[in-house]
Amino acid sequence: MGIYSFRGGVHPAGNKELTRDMALTPFLARQEMVYPLGQHIGKPAAPVVKKGDEVLAGQLIAQADGFVSANIYSACSGKVKAVDHHLSGAGIQTPCIIIDNDGQYTPAPGVGTACDYADLTGPQILDKIKWAGIVGLGGAGFPTHVKLAPKNPSAIQYFIANGAECEPGITCDDRLMVERPEEIIEGMKLILRLFPKANGVIAIEANKPEAIKIMKKAVSGDDRLSVLVLKVKYPQGSERNLVHAVTHKYMPSGSLPADLGCVVDNVTTISAIYRAVAFNEPLMEKGLTVTGDGVERPGNFKVRLGTSVQELLEHCGLKDGVKKIYLGGPMMGLALSDTGVPLVKTNNAITCMMTDPVEESERFGTNCIRCGRCTRVCPMGLLPQQMSEAAEKKNYERYVKFHGTDCIACGCCTYTCPAKRPLTQLFAQTKPAAMAWKREHEANKEGKA
Amino acid sequence: MSNLLNVSSNPHARTEHDTLHEMYNVILALIPVTVFGVAHFGLHSLIIVVASILSAMVTEYVFDRITHRKNSLWDGSAVVTGLLLALVLPPTVPIFIPVVGSMFGILFVKCFFGGLGQNFMNPALAARAFLLISFGTLMTNYSVDGTSSATPLAVLKTGGSVNTTKMLLGFVDGHIGISIICLLIGGLFLLIKGTITWQIPICGVLSFAFFMGVLGGKGFDPQFLAAHICGGGLILGVFFMATDPVTSPISAWGQALYGIFVGALAAVFRVFGNMADSMTYAIIIANLLVPLIDLVIIPRPFGIGRNVQYLLDDDQNGRINIPKSALILMLIALLTGGALAGVNYLTAPTIAENQLAANLAAFEAVLPEAESFEYDDAVTAKVEEAAAASDYYADGAFGKVMINEVVAGKDASGETIGYALSVTTMEGFEGEITQSVGISADGTVQGIAFTVLAETAGMGMRVDEPDWKSQFAGKQVDQFTLLKSGGASSDEEIDSISGASTTSGAVVNAVNAALDFYHTNLA
Repeated sequence: MGIYSFRGGVHPAGNKELTRDMALTPFLARQEMVYPLGQHIGKPAAPVVKKGDEVLAGQLIAQADGFVSANIYSACSGKVKAVDHHLSGAGIQTPCIIIDNDGQYTPAPGVGTACDYADLTGPQILDKIKWAGIVGLGGAGFPTHVKLAPKNPSAIQYFIANGAECEPGITCDDRLMVERPEEIIEGMKLILRLFPKANGVIAIEANKPEAIKIMKKAVSGDDRLSVLVLKVKYPQGSERNLVHAVTHKYMPSGSLPADLGCVVDNVTTISAIYRAVAFNEPLMEKGLTVTGDGVERPGNFKVRLGTSVQELLEHCGLKDGVKKIYLGGPMMGLALSDTGVPLVKTNNAITCMMTDPVEESERFGTNCIRCGRCTRVCPMGLLPQQMSEAAEKKNYERYVKFHGTDCIACGCCTYTCPAKRPLTQLFAQTKPAAMAWKREHEANKEGKA
Repeated sequence: MSNLLNVSSNPHARTEHDTLHEMYNVILALIPVTVFGVAHFGLHSLIIVVASILSAMVTEYVFDRITHRKNSLWDGSAVVTGLLLALVLPPTVPIFIPVVGSMFGILFVKCFFGGLGQNFMNPALAARAFLLISFGTLMTNYSVDGTSSATPLAVLKTGGSVNTTKMLLGFVDGHIGISIICLLIGGLFLLIKGTITWQIPICGVLSFAFFMGVLGGKGFDPQFLAAHICGGGLILGVFFMATDPVTSPISAWGQALYGIFVGALAAVFRVFGNMADSMTYAIIIANLLVPLIDLVIIPRPFGIGRNVQYLLDDDQNGRINIPKSALILMLIALLTGGALAGVNYLTAPTIAENQLAANLAAFEAVLPEAESFEYDDAVTAKVEEAAAASDYYADGAFGKVMINEVVAGKDASGETIGYALSVTTMEGFEGEITQSVGISADGTVQGIAFTVLAETAGMGMRVDEPDWKSQFAGKQVDQFTLLKSGGASSDEEIDSISGASTTSGAVVNAVNAALDFYHTNLA
């Protein structure tokens, strides 16, 4: 298979050199840990501890509430300080469990002990994943035990390990593949037990030669596993592009990879599955990159979930006069107004910048000149220019007609716009209303018919 | 932390490429052709370029000040408009032309509609159209330093042939942005930079060539098509004017369709229009179609309609009709073109009759004794023979003169009493002059009458005065001579109109050509 590419996309500066060669280093927080109850897609988990309870590292503190939900574990030992509202990364007050960290990290009984998983069956593995509270760690946060249980498992032809990591600046997946390839390979073998007819494909962007080399070596000799090298281009790691890369089929909006015989999981998720099954470890920590010119000592860390962004940044040496901090990379990252927020399952990077191109670009903004560059970079083949006109007029009918509800908010159009128009922001604002309009419109149509 | 953090929606990165860069690319791409134009046509053309750009900028600045808008000069679009306008002007126009044109384009087409990105048609072309309507004579005078010559397109229009290599390089008369090769270099640069896409220029040129081949009357003769593609600002139009992002469609399919429209309209106007210029109107009319194209042509989003038929059975909305609507629109374009071609084919004889009727008045004036006029096949064959032998009659012995047609004048009994010859010279002060010359059977010139005459009023136009024309009547001579100083004493001598010796000379030469044709073929 040649190097795969897709139509559209942009080439933002990679900025991966900053942390590419920095090994994943454990970071153990000393201060209080905070666990939002809703840090996954689906129903928020229900707390099973109350104020004053003593907890250990790896102890269940909130239980999945319903099928599409996920367990939450304490990553530290200490005392429950409160079950109350706390500021989250999204900038809103949300129900959280707050734990006074004793700094001892005393493990709960049984956590971290090696298990024999050679004879585990598919359902047992799924149970283990559900128990561990694993969700899509690439950023989506969809409960993994749901994703790995499609209606017809034998129709799945490919299990795709997403190691594309196309966001600029982030290198923690790269490091994971370089440092712990066996966790990913073993994890994939476990998952392939769920899908008897599937082959495993590890998709990696071509800018990670070391990871490609190591993963290729690790899969050699296994005829169910292979490595697929992807062209360096954002958003190469988007699920729909990955499915196209592997199957050469185009996945329409509103469908799931499983409809095309694919299941996609991030490499970090796969490693977490392996650790849950092999070491009885619930999801307590994950790789995370701290990068940007706003920190003295950027690096890759194994961070305990619940750690305060503030504490980690202090460890890395946050510079004075930093302009902007966002969770994630520059393309899809979530800007923080306050660093007193906890790290959750879906975070994979903290980027600190001394300059804010958004602020600067405002000075150079003009009217739309209809240059069409947004159209050429849209990986979904949309017309952002026309969508924005409809969105500004709140003309949802027209917005839907231009397939605006297919927008994946990748940010390519905004990145490339010479007039510096905030297109992605406009679409993010418009999409929910447009979806509602579409549903209502379809309901009306059905009613009439 | 001492300072507040910036918060914004993703993405947090931006390209450095901004609107100014986009305009800067266009300006860079236009530099070769501008430099060539200035070098070829001289200092006055440089003054035109500068005046055009400056007045565009000043107009925009003043408008911004008066209306309390943000100064939008820095985005560079006014410079682009001014420069583009200058490039489509003849190199001899007075300075007020680019100034008035730029002001009109910027103010009426751009500023009044909301400034950058809001204009509904290309401001430079709208300005050109305005100037063409208001100052037609000035705008179509391509003579440099008083030595007038026809533009290649004017020559093509009158059936002559042109040197395509010279046109490609730009060593011909025309507007300032004349060098095709320089334009192509600039166009390629814009393509590489991504400022324009290939759809509009390529589809535009191909469609123009196709419709020109169908309608042009010479079939798909490569020489003929190449000359037409290189002439009349077609390349400048498709690469720099039609691609103006503001007034062209946004989707690739839409751009292709729009390119086809531009090419088709340009061909139709060039064949059927009454002036050599066709690009200006082709593009501004196509500009008006853009909102419609953008509404109809919606590309297929990722994943819809391919390999997924089993998935989206209920999603009719997803089954995009772009290829369908694009095909329908293209079909309409083709049918329209086909219909025009058909009409042309069917009406060609009628048109010839109409032309005869129009000329008839002139023939009657110059051969009053004839009761009727008829084509004589043998004579027409001689006319065609002479036209085929060289571009101009008798290898240019009488200047740039062409014998258009010759009719025999018959008396009541059907006897040929003389001939009327329609003669065109391209050497009038303003270019073309067409006249009829009546010569009776004994070789006496009976009179002359003008059918196309657009000389300077009060000077060249005076050749149409009966006193002057009557100098030719009743003379039985081999050739006439022009006396610039006046005081004609013999039959051969004709007094020049004072101050209009160019026009007088062109007319005398044309009459001499008619006499020569008569003596060679009809006497």
